[in-house]
Amino acid sequence: MNGAARMGLLRRTTYAAILASAIVATTACEVGVGYSNGYDSDYPPDAYIGTTEPIYFEGRANYWYGGRWYYRNGGGWNHYDREPPALYQRRVQAPPMRRNFEPSRGRAAAPPARTGGWRGDRR
Amino acid sequence: MGYPGEQASPNERILRDLMISQARAIGIRAVVLLGMGAAAGCGGSSASARPTVTAASAVGDEESASLMEHHRYHHHGGVTLFIAMSLDTLGVSPEQRDAVEEIRARLYHAMEPARAAYRNLLDVLADGLDAASFDATKVNAAIAQVANVSGGAHDASTSALNNLHAALTPPQRAALADKVVAHWAVWQSENGSETDSTNAVERGHLATLTTELGLTPEQIEKIRGPLADRMRGVPRLDPQQIEAHVRAFCDAFRGETFDARTLATGNAANVRLVSWGAAHLAHVVETMSPVLEPGQRATLARKLREHATHDPGARERS
Repeated sequence: MNGAARMGLLRRTTYAAILASAIVATTACEVGVGYSNGYDSDYPPDAYIGTTEPIYFEGRANYWYGGRWYYRNGGGWNHYDREPPALYQRRVQAPPMRRNFEPSRGRAAAPPARTGGWRGDRR
Repeated sequence: MGYPGEQASPNERILRDLMISQARAIGIRAVVLLGMGAAAGCGGSSASARPTVTAASAVGDEESASLMEHHRYHHHGGVTLFIAMSLDTLGVSPEQRDAVEEIRARLYHAMEPARAAYRNLLDVLADGLDAASFDATKVNAAIAQVANVSGGAHDASTSALNNLHAALTPPQRAALADKVVAHWAVWQSENGSETDSTNAVERGHLATLTTELGLTPEQIEKIRGPLADRMRGVPRLDPQQIEAHVRAFCDAFRGETFDARTLATGNAANVRLVSWGAAHLAHVVETMSPVLEPGQRATLARKLREHATHDPGARERS
């Protein structure tokens, strides 16, 4: 192989490696959702976590929020890219229990009620 | 460097090797940098420290609003109350239900002295609004009483917390810890923002009462400055101290073994949180009162009395 061909091969190999690592990096980040101060953040807000009953699946508490199932992963949140059938079944059978902590706001304080106005239908 | 097919001289070979090694180094550096960037992006999104204020304020549904309201008016119990409230949405099996309900009742029982003291404070403040005059001695005594009795909530609940840990599965323990952290975050977002000039009317008591009482911009201005002045006289609440206890509890509770008696920060954290919450609420009400119209004062007094009679633990004890 001559010098120019070798340089060309080396350049193509380098670009391919960069492109491959970019794809891997993008894919790896796709399901990771972290904390944010933004109002449009995708992960479940604290007040939602504090008022919503999770569904336990694969050894984790899962929250249906914004059209996705979220679960804790260390200090952040992850979501399933594709909805697991078991969680889908639970969701269509009944929406998650939500708690109203102030009866004066027009709902009985207890027990938690299955409500139709939950944020899980947002998307 | 030669043309294709041309034999390279020793110098050209050295130059070519140098260029190839440089190109390789650039490529490796690019890949490494890209990888580092991606790792930083992923790491930043999944492992970043939880912010003091999150998107909680943005939630507009009824249940979330009820939680925010609760954390504005019910400070008794401190972190112990966060734990008890977390049980309401933990999700337990039918087999666990009776045991967890019994533990929940014991937790609220442990907080009962603090709840009674807090109820008294709310009644004193409501009476002051009705009379358009506050008895400073009574208000201060009520705040002091809340602080005095709130210190025992953690010690009184250690047995119940140990039983709770034993009754839950590892995923449920982790979920409870997440909920306690969430309650603490909501509490922070709903308390104390009035004295923050950059967020003066977006969150907290003043923000919600602006809507509920129909405060005018002039009334808000008359309240905000004096409220900030009064709050400077209250011992500052260091969120790091509360955070340290919340973290200690959550880390321990997620573990396979747990003993609430080893959490030495519990009583002190509860006293600080409850005392500050009580003083803050009192100062908000006392500062607002002279600025309010009679109808607004009556509305606020009624609201305080409603909260005074609201017992979040009544479900199991009624």
